[in-house]
Amino acid sequence: MRVVLVGYGPVGSRFVDELLPVVRAGLASLTVIGTETADAYNRVLVAEHAVGSVGLDSMTVADRAAAEEAGVDLRTGVSVRRIDRGAHEVVLDTGERVAYDRLVLATGARANTPTLDGIERSRRDLASLERYPAELVASDDRLPQGVTALRDLDDAARVREAVRGRKRVIVLGAGVLGLEIALAAAHAGAQVCVVHHGAHPMPRNLDRGGGGVLRQALRRTGVTVIAHSRAEAIAFRTEADGSRAFDMLVTADGKQLKGDLLVLSCGVTPRAELATLAGLRTSTGVVVDRGLRSWSDPDVFAIGDCAHVVERTEETIGRRDLPGGPSGLIGPGWRQAAWLAARWTDELEGRAAHDHEGRELASIGMAPEADPIVMLKAEHIDVVAVGEVAPEPWDDDPAPGDPGARRVAQWADPEHLRYVKMVTRGGVLSGFVSVGMPRTAAELTLLFERRAELPADRSMLLRFDGPDYDPSEDADAFAPTSTVCWCNAVTVERIEESAACGNDTVECVGRDTRAGTGCGGCKGRIADVLARFAETGGAAASPVG
Amino acid sequence: MTPATDTHCPYCALQCAMTLTASAREPVMAAAATATAGAMDASDGASIAPVTVAGRDFPTNRGGLCKKGWTSAELLRRPGRIEQPLLRGADGELHETDWDTALDVVVAGIRRTQERYGPDAVGVFGGGGLTNEKAYLLGKFARIALGTSRIDYNGRFCMASAAAAGTRAFGIDRGLPFPLSDLDGAATVLLLGTNVAETMPPFVGHLAGAQAAGGLIVVDPRRTPTARLTDDGQGLHLQPAPGTDLLLLLGLTHVVLAEGLADEAYLANRTMGVDALRRSVAAWWPERVQSETGVAALTIRRVARRLAAGARTEPGTGGTYILTGRGVEQHVDGTDTATAAINLALVLGLPGRLGSGYGTLTGQGNGQGGREHGQKADQLPGYRKITDPAAREHVAGVWGVPAASIPGPGIPAVELLQSLGRPDGVRTLLVHGSNVVVSAPNASVVRRGLAELDLLVVCDFFLSETAALADVVLPVCQWAEEEGTMTSLEGRVIRRRRAIDPPAGVRDELWILHELARRLDAPSTFPTDPDTAFEELRLASEGGLADYSGVDYALLDSGAEVYWPYPRGSAGTPRLFADRFAHADGRARLVAVTPRPSAERPARGESNGLTLITGRLLEHYQSGAQTRRVPELADAQPDSRLRLHPATAARLGLADGDRVEVVNARGAARARVLVTRDIRPDTAFLPFHYPGDETANLVTSDAVDPVSSMPEFKTSAVRVRRLEPQEAR
Repeated sequence: MRVVLVGYGPVGSRFVDELLPVVRAGLASLTVIGTETADAYNRVLVAEHAVGSVGLDSMTVADRAAAEEAGVDLRTGVSVRRIDRGAHEVVLDTGERVAYDRLVLATGARANTPTLDGIERSRRDLASLERYPAELVASDDRLPQGVTALRDLDDAARVREAVRGRKRVIVLGAGVLGLEIALAAAHAGAQVCVVHHGAHPMPRNLDRGGGGVLRQALRRTGVTVIAHSRAEAIAFRTEADGSRAFDMLVTADGKQLKGDLLVLSCGVTPRAELATLAGLRTSTGVVVDRGLRSWSDPDVFAIGDCAHVVERTEETIGRRDLPGGPSGLIGPGWRQAAWLAARWTDELEGRAAHDHEGRELASIGMAPEADPIVMLKAEHIDVVAVGEVAPEPWDDDPAPGDPGARRVAQWADPEHLRYVKMVTRGGVLSGFVSVGMPRTAAELTLLFERRAELPADRSMLLRFDGPDYDPSEDADAFAPTSTVCWCNAVTVERIEESAACGNDTVECVGRDTRAGTGCGGCKGRIADVLARFAETGGAAASPVG
Repeated sequence: MTPATDTHCPYCALQCAMTLTASAREPVMAAAATATAGAMDASDGASIAPVTVAGRDFPTNRGGLCKKGWTSAELLRRPGRIEQPLLRGADGELHETDWDTALDVVVAGIRRTQERYGPDAVGVFGGGGLTNEKAYLLGKFARIALGTSRIDYNGRFCMASAAAAGTRAFGIDRGLPFPLSDLDGAATVLLLGTNVAETMPPFVGHLAGAQAAGGLIVVDPRRTPTARLTDDGQGLHLQPAPGTDLLLLLGLTHVVLAEGLADEAYLANRTMGVDALRRSVAAWWPERVQSETGVAALTIRRVARRLAAGARTEPGTGGTYILTGRGVEQHVDGTDTATAAINLALVLGLPGRLGSGYGTLTGQGNGQGGREHGQKADQLPGYRKITDPAAREHVAGVWGVPAASIPGPGIPAVELLQSLGRPDGVRTLLVHGSNVVVSAPNASVVRRGLAELDLLVVCDFFLSETAALADVVLPVCQWAEEEGTMTSLEGRVIRRRRAIDPPAGVRDELWILHELARRLDAPSTFPTDPDTAFEELRLASEGGLADYSGVDYALLDSGAEVYWPYPRGSAGTPRLFADRFAHADGRARLVAVTPRPSAERPARGESNGLTLITGRLLEHYQSGAQTRRVPELADAQPDSRLRLHPATAARLGLADGDRVEVVNARGAARARVLVTRDIRPDTAFLPFHYPGDETANLVTSDAVDPVSSMPEFKTSAVRVRRLEPQEAR
């Protein structure tokens, strides 16, 4: 079986890794075409790379040498210009043709270019693509000097230069990625301003309360946040060398925000133009069924950010607009890569895998992804959110009744930048927001992932972040049953008994009870117990027989 | 007046030094042997110890002992001690018999089984509590007196994963490759899945430096007494969900590499494989790890930075140690988890650096020596591979047998136990120093297998739960009644010395092996005297990884500090890896490991589902066969208590003290509920020291790690069911 993979990003390279055994065994041949020249890297870390806190070698996930050693034909720095479905070939920008039996698209997504006066924005509809294939396929919009997206290593290099020069950076968009680069750049010493048109940052992920606390937290770290502002245009200045460069961002309400670098963080769009040109059904991305197979061509598959998974039913086939879209997150992409490679491995090795009900996995496809958990990666601000977060505590009747009903519990302390909302159905989280409560967030994340029931007293989860979180402290150190010597399991009570019998030194108590005769670490506490015993005049905390 | 005898504790691998002095009531050593009845205190029927125990100053325990050590002499003359061989009669009961009869029955059984099913139908199951001399001769006995490959030991439940990981990374497996007292100077110690405050309490003294520096970091799903040592700013307790340790370690390594905290010069000069490691951890950034482990990303970053800070100090001052225990190793991915811990240590440049390092904490008294001298299915003395032709030649030369007569590799413990009674499996089993019906995973399968055997022979000093099922029980000496050597958790060879004579009908295992070998017309010799056995062990280990050839009893008795490898003419090796690792090129191997979806988890949405972890209590040791017989220990922990978080108990409608059954498809274990905040709400804990229907291993899985064959003890999906009063015993 000849397999051609288009795209060698983190998802593509994971697919290669997973398919290596059958390639090595000669059961399949694999050709990989990647536009970027660098080996596949973990894009999640691009913001940190941009501010210089993570080196490229710590981001690289592809093992190029292992792939080539196994016989993979790995071509980077080359782009696919066109898919010739009739001939089962892809046409490269070098003119070369590569034949496939199965084609996997892992072309990922590109940063959106917002509609702004001063920036050209390409349309990638079928008519435009047919007219300008060379300009529009596998290439991104050309942005003016001083304006960048943050998607690849070149973008990261532009940001790094600005951060190193402690320049003024304007970030347009307050989604997770925008805030991550804003915070990382501010932490690295740049002056940062975030402009967005919603009421609060991360509007797609956070409720009003969580968003409000996050805005407060951003301001305290020195990031300027300008909300309710729709960006309309950019203006340019002329540099000493005569070139034109970004000068300011102009908003619809008339603000003029001057800066040295504008970072566009306005979401991403799947790179689906090869599919569009080839006449494959596309919606938000390349439309594939739960088996990751194109609706239009049984030999074409898509995984990762370019894949729009929609179950193919009578109902969906008839729809013009399809529900859902790519998650834009790495986890689901990796799972798709692994799943598809596993099915093909099963097939090539002559067996089939089944689910717990005995249905063949290859035919029923992947289980739908759960809601993705969104975490803001930043040093001093901790934000985690997932699922339904909009409901407020009083939206539903909280009286007991339907055990599966929706319930909302909330904790807000904006002054100290702490906020948690937990939305449950039948006691199991259907969504939550946590800001400034890292340990609570970690527990909630795990509870959400595992669909586990929350403790009836939800405040138990908040205590993880309390400065007083120390279960040992609610035990009185001098309570009779408190253990003093762990080596020998000797309690306060036992030491007091011993003291009452005249053992008034640590050594005497040790001989009598063995307390302090193990590691010796408790000798100080034994002395405390004895001192307290002496002070209270022998009135032991417990009756002495 | 009998002079005091310097020896070491019979229990864990810390091997605390102690001095035994004959009790006033038993002034004459020989009297103990003849007058066991006189050892009973007539007033209350309880035994009195024939010797008194005192802690002895030594670099590891510094004179300290724990409750188990202090009470260890109680067992020497306890009622219930077996003092004559026992033979199962036609009535199905065990009856006392004489040694000749018992040994003849054993030999006849061995012959019968082997004639009918071949040599491999006789198996030997050893223990990590046996002296080096016994472990060595047991391996020799299996290979050339029985001619069987079927020998393995309970260390497979204990050290196998760490040993496999250590061998893979460093080319050698010594639990601590440095003296324990080196820990004293550390500013940061990361303890992964080990509860030393209960399992080897005097160890805790060596953590004081790290505590004072605020750098004790304990990873455990339970807030154990060890985790509590981090209170009050003395460190940090990380409480990940059970079975997620590997991910946590990948996350820590990710931060170290991503933030440039790695020791790049060390990686370049002393290791191989860093590129693959970088790629493998690139996918595990802290936020992703948080969502799998429940440990906050910020905590992961903080810990990584703290570990790295110690690695950057002057060698010998304020360094960093990473230590693993069974909590992270007893999993189906235990070898990979230990490897991930080693990888973290290597990227920080810790191993071989004075004042820093990686180590694993051996559990059983001679867990270290027990795995070096031939009890393992795949090894010959000196930690030699049984498949290596040169190793076979060397050992065959020492034994005076043709190399071809030594069987090849056998099968590891769990597989061996699973084969019991099967037509192609082991049909006659000899058990030495192990109580498998309590300590082996999926215990009901083991119970069934033992019942299927043609012959079960158990050497023990009490009628353990396994001995009670035997056809022949052979009574053997306890620690204070024998001579020999042990190798402690720091790779130090120490002397066990005889303080009193054993009861008259009790024999040393060396004598038993000698007698059996003689009756079996075995080649070579089976010395009955430990010193002679050790002299042979020296030769057999010479040139191997665990080389003892430069050690003899005179050296040990001189008080010298003896760490292996100790080749002839050398002064031993307190610290390994200063210049090179044990692979041929001298470099350590970084082995990239990736998590597999393996951990058994409660079904999603299963409201009663909990993850059960098993472990130890301060008062008990291993299967409890000894400690449950010490009144002071048994009174403190008389029965099995299931630890549950208050929120979990409330959800399940359970209160402290309720009798419950912990259930899954493999079986059910009974316990009483103990409500405590010291555990995660999604986790339950049972100690594994109890027999009968309280045996925790009735619900654990016998799935094993593919590399080490270590079983999965720590992540059993269970439900908890309240026992109605009429169901409780």
